[in-house]
Amino acid sequence: MLTALILADSRFPGGGHVHSGGLEEAAARGLVHDEPSLRAFLHGRLLGAGLLAAGFAAAAARGEDLDMLDAELDARTPSPAQRSASRAQGRGMLRAARRAWPSARLDALPRDPHQPLVIGVLIGEPVEAAVTCAYLAVSGPASAAVRLLGLDPFGVNAIVAALPVEDVASRACAALPALGSPALDLLAEAHVRREGVRLFGS
Amino acid sequence: MKASARLVVALDSHGNSVVRVLRSMTPLTLVPHRRVGPLALVHLVSSVTAPLGGDSLSLTVEVGPGASLELRGVAATLLLPGSSGEESSSSVRFLVEGTVRYLPEPTVVTSRAHHTSVVEAELDGHAQLRTREVLVLGRVGEKPGTLSSSVRATRCGRPLLHQQLVVGDPLADASSAGLVGKRVVGTEMLLDSVERGTDGGEWWSVVPLAAGGSLATALGDDVVAVTGVLDAI
Repeated sequence: MLTALILADSRFPGGGHVHSGGLEEAAARGLVHDEPSLRAFLHGRLLGAGLLAAGFAAAAARGEDLDMLDAELDARTPSPAQRSASRAQGRGMLRAARRAWPSARLDALPRDPHQPLVIGVLIGEPVEAAVTCAYLAVSGPASAAVRLLGLDPFGVNAIVAALPVEDVASRACAALPALGSPALDLLAEAHVRREGVRLFGS
Repeated sequence: MKASARLVVALDSHGNSVVRVLRSMTPLTLVPHRRVGPLALVHLVSSVTAPLGGDSLSLTVEVGPGASLELRGVAATLLLPGSSGEESSSSVRFLVEGTVRYLPEPTVVTSRAHHTSVVEAELDGHAQLRTREVLVLGRVGEKPGTLSSSVRATRCGRPLLHQQLVVGDPLADASSAGLVGKRVVGTEMLLDSVERGTDGGEWWSVVPLAAGGSLATALGDDVVAVTGVLDAI
């Protein structure tokens, strides 16, 4: 439980704060500009990318083969920008985790692992791992929205608290999901192509 | 209605791709083109209004080493509800050692439809497969029913692409992280050895997959715009 709390804490030094999960590109296009449009964005992100990531975290926590999970998650992540954001966040989390919770299973992770696999291995309990991963899928973009759009932090926090994170996490534990997120993939690719100042890596 | 159809194409000793097995079952009617050459052309005709709720349709396509098949649709598919709200389902399974291009016409998810579509493809080391899917969320002015459409492709057992798209949740369909309120979603899976870089525009992209091949995706407000993007790749 403590591991899950530390990983979900925005002060955890895993480098997650440099990723907005597509929010920066959506905000730049004016698609997200206020609390209702942010709520819709986070809802869609949770049901798609959040469910997918949570399912893989749960599977890694159950002890399933990590190389197989890595290849299966690659096949479910067609966007190279999304693959590289997931692996960058996995790498950052792994760097901090090696010091905090060294283990043989952590060493068994593939090089630059996808973040959900790292979360699953560290937490080791499927439902907790899925909840943590689903929460991180929306908490990062939510805090990016506060920074980019100057939204009211109390209002944004209330939106996150009302999202069906636990419900999505429990569905994610049932079977390895394969949900795609076409718009998030397109936003991620456009974000990489965007010229000018970008505050976030994804 | 339950139906299963099967199509087998192989290379003959003269280098022609010939249809070896053609088993149609209404509504899955397979119409081969009468021509001889390296590419076999077959049209998939829906000979009865289908699928309706309760229908279960499956098609298996096998293409042998060196053989080439183009399988085309002739008309858009309307997913319609049945009389008592049952689900409908369809599956297409490809076993490819040669080359296949599968080009169905768009699928329209009408209101109250409840459909599951599955495409599965197993490729050997040299196989090439190109498939297109264009989904239209409801006829003009109509809210869509629910659809789960999934595709899974493997090469020599290794996963290349596995994606499920679910439509029919109004909040997620409208979300800028969902389908951005667009009515038409098009994808083209290009599983071959062609090197393509990343390319894209506001609501379309072509991207290289991790284990080889590419995926093109386009979101739009009408079929003409979306198929125009896919045709240009």
